[in-house]
Amino acid sequence: MTISISGLSVSRSGRTLLHPTTVNIEPGERVGLVGASGSGKSTLGHALVDALRRQGHSVAHVPQSPDEALDPLRSMGFHWAEAESALDLAPDVARQKALFEALRIDGGDLRKRPWGWSRGMQQRFVIAMGLIGTPDLLVMDEPTSALDPVVAARSMDLLDRYLADRQTALLLITHDLGLAARRMSRLMVMHEGRIVEDAPTAALLAAPGTAAAKALCLHRNWLALPC
Amino acid sequence: MLSVENIAVRYRGVTVLQDISLTLAAGRTLAVVGESGAGKSTLIGTILGLVRCSAGQVTWNKAPVRRCRPALVMQEPRSAFNPRVSLRRSVTEPLIAERRPVDENQMAALCRSLDIPTDLLERRPSAVSIGQAQRIGILRALIAAPPLVLFDEPLSALDAVTQKHTARMIADLQAKEGFAALIVTHDLGYAAAYADHIAVLRAGRIEELTTAQAFIDAPQTAYGRELRDAAFALGALERVA
Repeated sequence: MTISISGLSVSRSGRTLLHPTTVNIEPGERVGLVGASGSGKSTLGHALVDALRRQGHSVAHVPQSPDEALDPLRSMGFHWAEAESALDLAPDVARQKALFEALRIDGGDLRKRPWGWSRGMQQRFVIAMGLIGTPDLLVMDEPTSALDPVVAARSMDLLDRYLADRQTALLLITHDLGLAARRMSRLMVMHEGRIVEDAPTAALLAAPGTAAAKALCLHRNWLALPC
Repeated sequence: MLSVENIAVRYRGVTVLQDISLTLAAGRTLAVVGESGAGKSTLIGTILGLVRCSAGQVTWNKAPVRRCRPALVMQEPRSAFNPRVSLRRSVTEPLIAERRPVDENQMAALCRSLDIPTDLLERRPSAVSIGQAQRIGILRALIAAPPLVLFDEPLSALDAVTQKHTARMIADLQAKEGFAALIVTHDLGYAAAYADHIAVLRAGRIEELTTAQAFIDAPQTAYGRELRDAAFALGALERVA
């Protein structure tokens, strides 16, 4: 189902954090929401999740750190059962097995609490929880920043493989244009609470139009090496 | 020259660092990369003299390293300062510790190099941005002109553009001041762009220690290759035609 929201805005204490914004995302599309710290990326992400849920869309949100999603006093099995129950889904061993295998967490012991799993496995478990209900949109907020690079790259690769040919769209929120450009087909650039550019990745990288996008493009990699 | 010779660190029977040897000359940069728990921060603590070695020694120009008063730039910039005093007071602490007067000209020059408006120093840490706080952390590290500066994940709290600006400032200041820089980072892109040498620390041992160029061209270990490939997969490094 195509996602379409217009007039999304957020104000707090009389200050506008997100100016009226329109977001359209096609099924299966990979969109990167990029910008500097404080540009309003996460504010838009949260507002979008809330607004889409009110519209009846199924939306999953994966926070920056698995600590924000997992209760340290509850077992991983409890979290899984709770996620199924929140979606009014009956326990389904086959669905769980498929997701666990796809994200390579099938070796994890569900009787253990989160700290009994590695950080990378915790993060992939949170992603798997988000995918239980086959959402229309998966919103991931800085999914790699709390992980070691090897683990982060593996998690993103596994997610890419799982989402290929599926209808679930992905919104990747990140300050790192290098990461978004490597993996997303379309980029939205945020600056001071506004989406200032929205274009296919290759077009934006080739001709950024705003100062914010130019700065991101200029500093998107540490090194560009010859093939 | 920093010389780390065969050091080992053990806590309650657990070996955290084992057989670590490296050298770092004035004006040069060594990046230590590796996964969480590899012992990177323990290595920094050992070089600072905050963690006791079970074996081996750490020297600067053949004298105990603490005598050269190495400086540290921490990962989380705002919590690296006393929240109750002005940033100026925190910045001058290394001089106060050595009972040296503040050289206002030197302070002003460093502030210019680090793009810090001097009135910012009258504020408390909570009243500046993270990027500003990290630049002020670098100012504090350099105020007493130490010959050796240790950086513990100095860019990981910053956004991508601020990271690149800050890295450039550190490198420019190093060229001017001549300090040796040991940078602990999980970001191989940063290491590849700015370090002379890269050491891969894994499970408390140095698996690989080579020039940055050689490491990016052909890592010698399986984990080194994984690190290099992850840097490309996450867009920190890019191949262009």
